[in-house]
Amino acid sequence: MNKRNHNEDLPDPRDKYLPLAQWLQQVLSITPRQLEHEPASITDDGERFGDDYHIEFYQQLPDFVLALLNDDTQATIRFAPLLFHLIGCPTCHTAYLEIYDAMRAAVGSAETYTPITPSSHSMATTSTQMLVYLCRLLINQAKAVLLQGHHDHTDNDEWARSLLQQAIYISSHLMQSTLRQRALRDLVEVATLFESATTPTEQEPAAYSYTPVLSTGSGARHSTTRRRVEAIGRPVEQPAIYLQAEISGVEGMITQTEDVLELHLEDLPQELRGQPLTISVLLGSILEPVRWFGGNPRAIRSQVPVRDDGKLTIPLGKTELRLSNPEDHNILEATFKKLDVRPSD
Amino acid sequence: MPFTAHDLRYDLEHSYSSLCAYLQQRAQRELRQLAYDANEVDLVVGHVVEQLTRLHLLGGGDNSPQSALDRLSNAQFYAFLNHSVRNKAIDRLRKHRLPTSTLSEVEGLASNEDEYDPLYTVTSSIWGSNPFPTPEAAALRAASQQELRMLLKRCIEELSSAPRQLLAVLEELEELGEGDFLEELKENFRTLLTDLELSHLSQHKDHAHKKLRHCLQKSSTNLAVLVAFRLTEYGEHSTGTNEVSVDIKDLKQTGLSEQEVQAGLQRLVKVGLLEWHGEQFVRCSSIQLKHLTRFYEEGE
Repeated sequence: MNKRNHNEDLPDPRDKYLPLAQWLQQVLSITPRQLEHEPASITDDGERFGDDYHIEFYQQLPDFVLALLNDDTQATIRFAPLLFHLIGCPTCHTAYLEIYDAMRAAVGSAETYTPITPSSHSMATTSTQMLVYLCRLLINQAKAVLLQGHHDHTDNDEWARSLLQQAIYISSHLMQSTLRQRALRDLVEVATLFESATTPTEQEPAAYSYTPVLSTGSGARHSTTRRRVEAIGRPVEQPAIYLQAEISGVEGMITQTEDVLELHLEDLPQELRGQPLTISVLLGSILEPVRWFGGNPRAIRSQVPVRDDGKLTIPLGKTELRLSNPEDHNILEATFKKLDVRPSD
Repeated sequence: MPFTAHDLRYDLEHSYSSLCAYLQQRAQRELRQLAYDANEVDLVVGHVVEQLTRLHLLGGGDNSPQSALDRLSNAQFYAFLNHSVRNKAIDRLRKHRLPTSTLSEVEGLASNEDEYDPLYTVTSSIWGSNPFPTPEAAALRAASQQELRMLLKRCIEELSSAPRQLLAVLEELEELGEGDFLEELKENFRTLLTDLELSHLSQHKDHAHKKLRHCLQKSSTNLAVLVAFRLTEYGEHSTGTNEVSVDIKDLKQTGLSEQEVQAGLQRLVKVGLLEWHGEQFVRCSSIQLKHLTRFYEEGE
């Protein structure tokens, strides 16, 4: 037997493990919800960020890749759970390939540092689509972080809160309210995932749940605004956040007197008149610049009852933000994205 | 001003515009004939922005753990971004071309085009030396590397709490001709599996696979094996006793954090191989040490 034939007779060590490898792949396979889904544009409002993002494993990819690039013999052992995950998850495996290629280029890079010429890049010059996109990403990331925390029994609230804060601050640079609404579309849903989101006072449903009213363009907005402001009896020029209750359509408004934010409600129904109310600002604990009266934005109690004409004014808290400043206005508007009203006790 | 990975982590609001401008410029360059399609440029930029967010870099602050990305030099970080943009741009170019051409047309087109066309020149080099270019390659490594097989064995052993599931998996391994650790597993659980009959096989198999999937991807399983190995490797015999003691500091060497070491130790305590209540020094008897050795060694 010649040498070649002799070698051919030797079993390929990989063949020995092939059946086990195939079985392992079968055991570990997960079917991504929409493997072929790719958005046609970043403004695609569908299920852009699916369940195939496995935060626990994704975050390990750069370290794993670097260990492989450094020929770390322990890499596969140290990152064994990740390796087993990559066998079964096509989404994370694709991400691994991308990161591997980019990291390999980076580590072996002969490219020189290529700074951008100093220029006037600012939020104002950044495409609004990219701002909306980032806000949605940050909110979605906050959701993933919170869900991971619930799963691992770890407290990720601070981390998620920081991501939501950044989304709110970045959205404040969007001057068109429809864009802001798109940017912060999932904000309320994610805020309800915080451990502290459910307080005993909120076991019963809110009598009214208010959200900010969108302006629909300059002309229409001005006429609508004027009607609302006149109806609530405030000077037309006073900057405000206009609120409308879901379902019933009753209106409210938030104004500012020096540092104090005040909520004005009107058309409250007969059954609430003569009663004090408790206000809950769901996103109140996300942002720090407002110091809420009573300390808890989820339970701000009115000191006076609803008047006989169905109106009530309640001071909510103090802030250095100014409703007259467009960006501050937008931050506060996001804070009041969900405001619930209940009769006290 | 140019931005850095640090800026993106700690000052996203002020560095995001520069990141977008930079990625946009690179995307236009790499997208070639699609450079003036704003939607395509946004898709490429958006992809990289999404990836950086998913990797916890954008706006991660001190809340998210730092990774190898944070440790890249500025030049390396920019190279990382450039290649991320480039790969996504190639992906987009391919998507635009392939639906309108047959494979042979594409091949013909490729030979006629500029030889430096990234669509074709990069194809062979992108994943060239990647150790795991496909999930199959990763599976083959997991099946053939001793330490990883050892983890698999540990996870199969954990099925012993549901003997029918264990039996279902052992039967699968038998069908595969997987004799290596099968015999030892069978021997270890001989009494447990005696006279056990398997009905509803596929149901037991499904449950077993689910548990295996969970166990293999659970870091505590992996950590337990790693820590067991290190305990036996770094343990020093205390004079005059039959005990071995190891400082937790020693267990932390090469890449394990204290938290990970503790998770591994807790796992070993849970499976009854160790007694440890959070002390700085882990102590184990020679019998425990022997069991620990068996815990990480693959039976041949």
